Amino acid sequence: MNIRFKPKVFSSLFYLVFCITSISFGQSDPTGERRVTGTFAITNATVTIAPGKTQQGATIIIKNGLIEAIGSNLRIPIDAQTIKGDSLFVYPGFIDGATSIGVLRPNDPERPANFDPSNPPDEFAGITPWRSVLDHYDIKNSQINDWRKVGFTVAQIVPEGGMLPGKSAIVTYGGKESNNILAKNTALAARFRSTGGGRGMYPGTQLGIMAKFRDLYKNAELSSQHMRLFASNSGLSRPEINKTLEAFFPVLDKSIPVLYEVSNDLELRRAVMLQKENGFRLVVAGITDMDFALDAIKSSNAQVLVSFRLPNDKTANSNTEGLSDEMKARTQKVKDAYIQILGEAGKLEAAGIPFGFTSLGGRSNEMYKNIRLMIANGLSENAALAALTINNANILGIQKFAGTLEKGKLANMVISTAPLFAEEAQIKYVVADGYVFEYEVNNKKSNNNGNGKAVDLSGIWDYTSDTPAGSSGGTMEIKRDGTSYKGTISYDNPSGSGKASSPMNNIILSGNNLSFTFNVSAGGMSLEVSVSGEITDGDFSGSMSLSEFGSFPFNAVKKPNHLNQ
Amino acid sequence: MKDMKKLLYSLILALLPILVQAQFDGEFVKPRTGKFLLQNATVVTVTKGNIENGSVLIENGKILAVGKNIQANDAEVIDCSGQFIYPGMMDAGSRLGLVEVNSLPETQDYAEIGQVTPNMQALVAVNPNSVAIPVTRVSGVTTTLAVPSGGLFPGTAALINLNGYTPDQMYAGFKGVVLNFPSSARRSTWDRRSDEDIKKEAEAAQKTLNEIWGRAETYHQLQKAKAELQYYPEMEQLSKVVAGELPLLVEVNAATDILSAIEWIQSKNAKAILMGVAEGWRVADKIAAAGLPVIVGPMLSIPTRQSDRYDAAYTNPGKMAKAGVKVVIRSNDAENTRNLPFNAGFAAAYGMGKEEALKAITINAAEVFGVADKMGSIEVGKDATLFVSTGDPFETKSQILHVFIDGYRVPMSSRHIKLYQEFLERSPGLEKN
Amino acid sequence: MKMIKYILSAFLILGCFVTIAQTQKGSVLIKNATVLTVTNGTLENTDVLVENGIIKRIGKNLNASNIQCIDGTGKYLMPGIIDAHSHVALDAVNEATAPITSEVKMGDVVNPYDIGIYRALAGGVTISHAMHGSANAIGGQNITLKHRYGTSNPEDLHMKDAPRTIKFALGENPTRVHGRGNGIQPRTRMGVDAVIRNGFNEAIQYKKAWADYENAQKQKGAKPVPPKYDSRLATLADVLDGKIIIHCHSYRADEIYALINTCREFGIKNIVFSHVNEGFKVAPELAEYTMGASVFADWWAYKFEVYYSTAYNAAILMENGVITSINSDSGELIRHLYHEAGKAQRYGQLDDDQTLALITINPAKQLGIADKVGSIEEGKQADLVLFDGHPLSVYAIPQMTFVDGVKYFDINEDPDDMRLKVSASEALEPIFLREHEHRCMHGVDFFFTNFGRNLFNHTH
Repeated sequence: MNIRFKPKVFSSLFYLVFCITSISFGQSDPTGERRVTGTFAITNATVTIAPGKTQQGATIIIKNGLIEAIGSNLRIPIDAQTIKGDSLFVYPGFIDGATSIGVLRPNDPERPANFDPSNPPDEFAGITPWRSVLDHYDIKNSQINDWRKVGFTVAQIVPEGGMLPGKSAIVTYGGKESNNILAKNTALAARFRSTGGGRGMYPGTQLGIMAKFRDLYKNAELSSQHMRLFASNSGLSRPEINKTLEAFFPVLDKSIPVLYEVSNDLELRRAVMLQKENGFRLVVAGITDMDFALDAIKSSNAQVLVSFRLPNDKTANSNTEGLSDEMKARTQKVKDAYIQILGEAGKLEAAGIPFGFTSLGGRSNEMYKNIRLMIANGLSENAALAALTINNANILGIQKFAGTLEKGKLANMVISTAPLFAEEAQIKYVVADGYVFEYEVNNKKSNNNGNGKAVDLSGIWDYTSDTPAGSSGGTMEIKRDGTSYKGTISYDNPSGSGKASSPMNNIILSGNNLSFTFNVSAGGMSLEVSVSGEITDGDFSGSMSLSEFGSFPFNAVKKPNHLNQ
Repeated sequence: MKDMKKLLYSLILALLPILVQAQFDGEFVKPRTGKFLLQNATVVTVTKGNIENGSVLIENGKILAVGKNIQANDAEVIDCSGQFIYPGMMDAGSRLGLVEVNSLPETQDYAEIGQVTPNMQALVAVNPNSVAIPVTRVSGVTTTLAVPSGGLFPGTAALINLNGYTPDQMYAGFKGVVLNFPSSARRSTWDRRSDEDIKKEAEAAQKTLNEIWGRAETYHQLQKAKAELQYYPEMEQLSKVVAGELPLLVEVNAATDILSAIEWIQSKNAKAILMGVAEGWRVADKIAAAGLPVIVGPMLSIPTRQSDRYDAAYTNPGKMAKAGVKVVIRSNDAENTRNLPFNAGFAAAYGMGKEEALKAITINAAEVFGVADKMGSIEVGKDATLFVSTGDPFETKSQILHVFIDGYRVPMSSRHIKLYQEFLERSPGLEKN
Repeated sequence: MKMIKYILSAFLILGCFVTIAQTQKGSVLIKNATVLTVTNGTLENTDVLVENGIIKRIGKNLNASNIQCIDGTGKYLMPGIIDAHSHVALDAVNEATAPITSEVKMGDVVNPYDIGIYRALAGGVTISHAMHGSANAIGGQNITLKHRYGTSNPEDLHMKDAPRTIKFALGENPTRVHGRGNGIQPRTRMGVDAVIRNGFNEAIQYKKAWADYENAQKQKGAKPVPPKYDSRLATLADVLDGKIIIHCHSYRADEIYALINTCREFGIKNIVFSHVNEGFKVAPELAEYTMGASVFADWWAYKFEVYYSTAYNAAILMENGVITSINSDSGELIRHLYHEAGKAQRYGQLDDDQTLALITINPAKQLGIADKVGSIEEGKQADLVLFDGHPLSVYAIPQMTFVDGVKYFDINEDPDDMRLKVSASEALEPIFLREHEHRCMHGVDFFFTNFGRNLFNHTH
């Protein structure tokens, strides 16, 4: 059976949610589900306040849904429930730049008998910018739990429908006692898809959609001009009130952006084209191949929400043995395209564009895996975290109360058992809107290299790397520095003969996974090289990513330690 | 009823004087047979080299003599000084005659309903009066294989000459049963099936094919054993293929499919000709090793894959010929079957060479269809199916001057030419008086 | 260290990409070729010097320092081939939802990754007119493209100095899509004519409303209310003002004649008829009142309205003084327009210059760019093709193709796989078989089956 929510039924359900909070006043909770206290203390944790800013052994006090304090040696309030943060890592709660989770698609209205498909009323044509997504939102959608479970605490919800489906809103993934709405009418949603309401209805393709957008925009401007004239003059014809055009008014005065959902670089360019012609604020969402359109992003100052959807590696299991050279080359092209997609987010970072992540097109159970792949291919962990937190707060305009862990901000956080993007990291708690959600954690192996022994990086490693220019190599000298590592890497001198060396930065060892970066300078230019991979029995096997230029094999062998001493 | 007939009869009688008196301009030129001597041409025999200042004598539909200094006092002499005589060009795959106007289903007689319809006879549906037939034959394309299309076994193709008023007058002595070999390729970008689904569907189609073939073999064995079988025209026709009386024309294009088809043909020990073979160049040595002839074309088509070199379709026949495959070229067209020589021209330019390309639309076709005793070259005793041109017929500049089919001199006219004659200088022009 | 060298070369490559992004202009000297100028006959053993994208000099024994020199001995140099009717490099072709869609712009949906662009270059085509489909009586605004393959920015392909053009369509396609498909006008050729007249008349009213508003604004103290904006009518007003050239899909003589009359009535002179299979029947009218006819070399009988056509069409039109071009309307034919033009020698025996004009200067005239391209003349843009033989021979193979003096195709240097963007999600690359391609070539039904690659983007 096909069950569909009718908008009316839904809004009454929604009303019910409001009622629950009000009628529960003066009532006990016979379900026993209500929490005992809203005050929490997370003690002695490693707290990443914002990307790149980490504090060890810190305590966080949460009260009334807000972060009351962060620091060491804090007095724990008497009504606080304590969460022992020893060996836990706390991050700001994630913000989903745009999502359709929980959003319902309004039913298409029934066509009248004299329906003219070449000139349909706006509602039929997918032009419903006056709609609020909140009227078509199911806060109880079970998928919301899946997304909170991976760390999301705030999301911008985008309406479903046609080319202009409505206005988006911002919600939290907090407790069920609240309606969880943070802001409404936050952006005008737009896309290059028609309604799907049947072939032969205008506008039916991107051609018509772009033309229709231009006409609506221009007429919204004229309509607003007419209204202003009418308000201050007499003897003028009365303006026709048109809810479609009115819905554009906050876009015209730039109080909200147009959130354009795009599926590839060419659609991104089309959104930018419209933006340049009309001058609105633009956010593009859902892209994965943006570096084909970096120039357009830069020239328009569009804000970018990147989908963490990634294709599967189609060539991973293909056996190229026995294939003709031609087929091998073809397989390699698919492989290269795959590697390129993995490096897209890194390239955006390298280009200095502060992007956010969106769950559009992605699946919650693939998020960490995909972001780790992006990190292995050039994205820094800080940028990855920023894309989930502060960048999205900025793009959504909620940085005053979300995006970082600071006193006075909403109590939204993600608490994991290991550094966030480490392979073995598991989410133990998510705090959303001051509500604490606890998750089961499996006991995985950690910090060993398969035979129970912890990996020790310190020592001298010989490495080789393969680029299209040939094979080369050098040494890495790594020393322990308290709980972390320091090191230098040598390589052939780019501007002369012999070897040159650079310090190794951001050395991160989590489990068997090692990653680090180093900078190479030549001819007045500097390039960051990032290396990541896995250690098995003293052998490091991974890849080296040169931001724009792709990713190449990088293998290293540690010299036996007694030789080093 | 009788009265009605009477009435009609008397009406016709009354009208007869008027009809007789009616005036007709010009005279309709019909194809005519006789004894013709084509003199002083370069005779491109295809099989026996070129004869400079040569002549060809035609009588009773046959080539009576070929060579220098041929005399025949009773023959109608056609002076061909400075001109060339070629054997009629054979298009080994076309819909000509099976369709009149391609967008009108009423005129589409090439695809029947059903997956297994080998009993559908293309020859039955050939329209001898199709407007496109004269349009085609004045280009020197004299013979085409009329190919049905559609399901797994869409029907039986037939070789026809482009002159005659009944299919039987046109029939040129070859038939073959078409098999659209199951494909494991992704068909264009609109094919949104997953890689796995494509594989599964191909396997299922392959299984179906084997089951049907198994049934045909059973039918054939029981028939041989003189069992009384229920009426089953599909298997009746397929059993002729099993028996080797009719060859299979196997339409197959993707490289992997070609390999599967070769394996399948060998496992069934079937007499087969490969058709389409768009990616034949990828597996040319395998086709050559299997000893299967191919009917390839058109050359004037886009490469099968976006990653292919832009000229992949142009170079395909040349690459296969070099690998030792016997190559025949088709247009796979209908109303523009006249483009066959240009397809051969592109094949020639892109690696096949002029001589091989000419063979691919003459003697190779005749040999593959088993009619080389009658067609495909200019030799004494063969059917007088040939044409005279001002030059290389692959060149667009060359004009085709005379066409003979089975000894009939066909009029060098068609609707296209008549419209040219009428409208080159229209009267009235822009102003009426 | 080789790795670092690679990094450095990567920097260099990056630098190149940046320059390519600003539509590159090249310099080259082609020596000792047979130069088919088209407008000034054939020049044997002649050199052509290109500087910064422009043909600087044509003559003998030319020299230039620091410029790449190409030996043209034994080769034929002709102007870049121009296709006046194409759908290559478009993500969408038909906004088939309304009988008039003059507001839509093909420039919005250019896809620079289309391999069809490169294949066209390999056939010597340097400019194509990327058109809206023929579903509507008045379709969208087309875009003239220069085949600067290799960019990811669609705008790099736009020929920015080409005038605006718009697609019209008559006959079976608009009447099927709207009349029989959607139950709205037009269902007949009467209706097509009426719909076009409606559009023109509404545009006149629209233009007047805005003119009135603008005039009122000039009055002191006046506070006029702006009329509604309508880019559909605004575009048609530009058509009426002669700012936009009409390229009209048409087949039958009656419908061609009817639109000639309508245009004369509205004072429109800038109109080219496209396909125009029965153009030969109204050749004197086309010669007198229009910018000509862009025809197929030999297509016919794929639908009823082209049943009474003739391959001699181009020759009859040319001999009657109609500006005539041969177009492709297909991702396949565009690759050998030189051969398609050659068919006008088989069917009507046009001479070489007449025949070459069909694919060079004449389509340039029809696109309003004949002062810039379409022949080899000093001062024109250096769009050139070098053939190994005379381009009207079936055996001639294009060797190099230049746009603005930049070489975009070289038969000896280009790798086989010229895709710019490869899908990472499909290991099984799609295969394009003649069967599908044939069906769309003979695009009976533009609405359901668009030409070329665009067919495959639309489900049926």
